[in-house]
Amino acid sequence: MDERRRRFEAQALPHLDAAYNLARWLAPAHADDIVQDAMLRAFRSFDGFRGADARPWLFAIVRNCARDHAGRARGRAQVPLPGEEDGAALPDPAPGPEQQAAGASERRRLDAAIAALPEEFRTVLILRELEELSYREIALALDVPVGTVMSRLSRARAMLKDGWMTP
Amino acid sequence: MSCTEHERTQLLADGELSGEDARAARAHLNGCAACAAQFAEIRALGDAVRAGAMRYRAPARVAARVRKAVAAEGAPRRGFWLGAASGVGASALAAALALAVLLPPSAETLADRIADSHVKAMMQGPLIEVASSDHHTVKPWFAGKIDLSPPVKDFKAQGFALQGGRLDHVDGYPAAVLVYRHGGHVVDLYVWHGARAAGTATRHGYAVQSWVSGDLDYSAVCDAPPSELRQFVKLVRGEED
Repeated sequence: MDERRRRFEAQALPHLDAAYNLARWLAPAHADDIVQDAMLRAFRSFDGFRGADARPWLFAIVRNCARDHAGRARGRAQVPLPGEEDGAALPDPAPGPEQQAAGASERRRLDAAIAALPEEFRTVLILRELEELSYREIALALDVPVGTVMSRLSRARAMLKDGWMTP
Repeated sequence: MSCTEHERTQLLADGELSGEDARAARAHLNGCAACAAQFAEIRALGDAVRAGAMRYRAPARVAARVRKAVAAEGAPRRGFWLGAASGVGASALAAALALAVLLPPSAETLADRIADSHVKAMMQGPLIEVASSDHHTVKPWFAGKIDLSPPVKDFKAQGFALQGGRLDHVDGYPAAVLVYRHGGHVVDLYVWHGARAAGTATRHGYAVQSWVSGDLDYSAVCDAPPSELRQFVKLVRGEED
């Protein structure tokens, strides 16, 4: 096996789940194809990747692939509502039995509120709160200035709070 | 309700400040109710999202497709099995195929066939038709598809993780193939009956080890060093004894 593939399997493939998570949040119906495209594109351009953490770079590719897919599928408008399909979800840290019933519907509402955010706000929120990227890493992934990350994140939180807290 | 320092408070809550900047921002929270509330709200929302929002994991089928696509990209542009065929006249090829069907292959030619089949699966797919690390899923999948029941065992703890299986052919005989992952390598274990040949060989960088056990033929193939393949074969054979 050649050196590039070895490096790719060590540095990029471990983030397959993270790439898939972002793709699911961007385009639930096309996550499989988007991730496959993205990982192949990533592999082809892997020689150009220099850095310690491949995640911001991978997320940028996932997002570009998602946009390409959206471009191809234009006209078939869809509101992403994750949680209903067959993608494997990481189980949440186990809640106590008494919290489970209330927890499930609460989580569904949270998912719906995040899914309802416009794409650019949803993406910063996912990258910051689920993937825990720094502003700089998010700026790299989205190809925007750090100041834009900051203001989008602030806006995303305000919108999420409104959407989630308001019944 | 908002304070002119709200941006600094956001940076603090998101862990973007350090050292003296972080200390100053924290000190500000003590005296500013608006920023203290904003800080708590950002943290609470983040905690709620991490605890409650869906975190999707790539399904096995996606992982398999990605690995296959990457493996195909990484393989030589012109596969040696294609190159080998293209240089041979059609009649010579037909004669060779007829001979191959009539004569049981030696360990050497068997190694060629196995390496060809393995590379073809890596390049063209399908590498995995049933993707699972659970032998209770993989073993029954072969039932009704092939007239043998391959031993299926996961050796993840020993460094060879079961990924799934597929149907393939060796010399025109149907074979059950179990697919394992060993670090960055894919290990295929072919199980069929027909060849009755044993031995080890290296073909184009692929180590092949074949043996016969009971009424079944086995061949393991991988692009890892032969010593690592031997380790895998030991595990498989230990399992049958």
